[in-house]
Amino acid sequence: MTFYESEIERIRGICYSNESQLDTIIATKKFIDTNFDKDLKLDLLSLNQFKSKFHLLRLFKRYYGQTPRQYLMDKRIEKSKEYLKEGMPVTETCFAVGFESLGSFSKLFKTKIGKSPSQFQKEQFSRS
Amino acid sequence: MKVTIVSIPVRDQEKEFQFYTEKLGFIKKKDIPLEGGNRWLTLVSADWQDGPEILLEPAPNHFEPCKVYQDALMEAGFPYTQFDVDDVDAEYDRLTKLDVEFSVKPTKMGTVKFAVFNDTCGNNIQIVEML
Repeated sequence: MTFYESEIERIRGICYSNESQLDTIIATKKFIDTNFDKDLKLDLLSLNQFKSKFHLLRLFKRYYGQTPRQYLMDKRIEKSKEYLKEGMPVTETCFAVGFESLGSFSKLFKTKIGKSPSQFQKEQFSRS
Repeated sequence: MKVTIVSIPVRDQEKEFQFYTEKLGFIKKKDIPLEGGNRWLTLVSADWQDGPEILLEPAPNHFEPCKVYQDALMEAGFPYTQFDVDDVDAEYDRLTKLDVEFSVKPTKMGTVKFAVFNDTCGNNIQIVEML
């Protein structure tokens, strides 16, 4: 066994010994992955995994390094890039990834990607 | 400031270029000749061609401490860097069939699954799937 492997073993024992807790959080993340387009609230996530919402929030952050909401927003933006590349109109994309207003979608997209959804889409087509 | 380049030290640029393109599936982005047969050689992911570039940098051949560091990482089994994949098991199967040698088979660690292989030019490389 290499030094790297023994370190992995050691750290796993310290940080990831609670397997049922890990399974719950991984299931929550997978739930977000398949339901990112819906109106997801923490209550719904906690209901789905039978945990109190604050406990769930704390554990998700502990294991994924982001809050469920931050993860959800990243997921939606990532998906919206896919849809825009496929040629879906901006407004349709906005609702298809679960945003409720075009304003909040465009603003977040611009903050994270550095250009507006329509600019991003235009560049995709001029490239291909 | 923007993150655009991840530098990987290599002993043989051409050999590593073949490995990263033919086996791993990266695509050449820039190839600029420099002095002494060295090149500014960068690659991108096939499905993310406007994403960050990998720079195959012949540093170990020109700067001894880099070679020492690279050798120490290799001996201890530490990956020099890591790439994200959708499915570690599938990549493991695909690469093993191409005779890529793994020092760590697909292994779960918290919220990820990972594996480590030898890039044949001095580095361990880790592939990671978020669970």
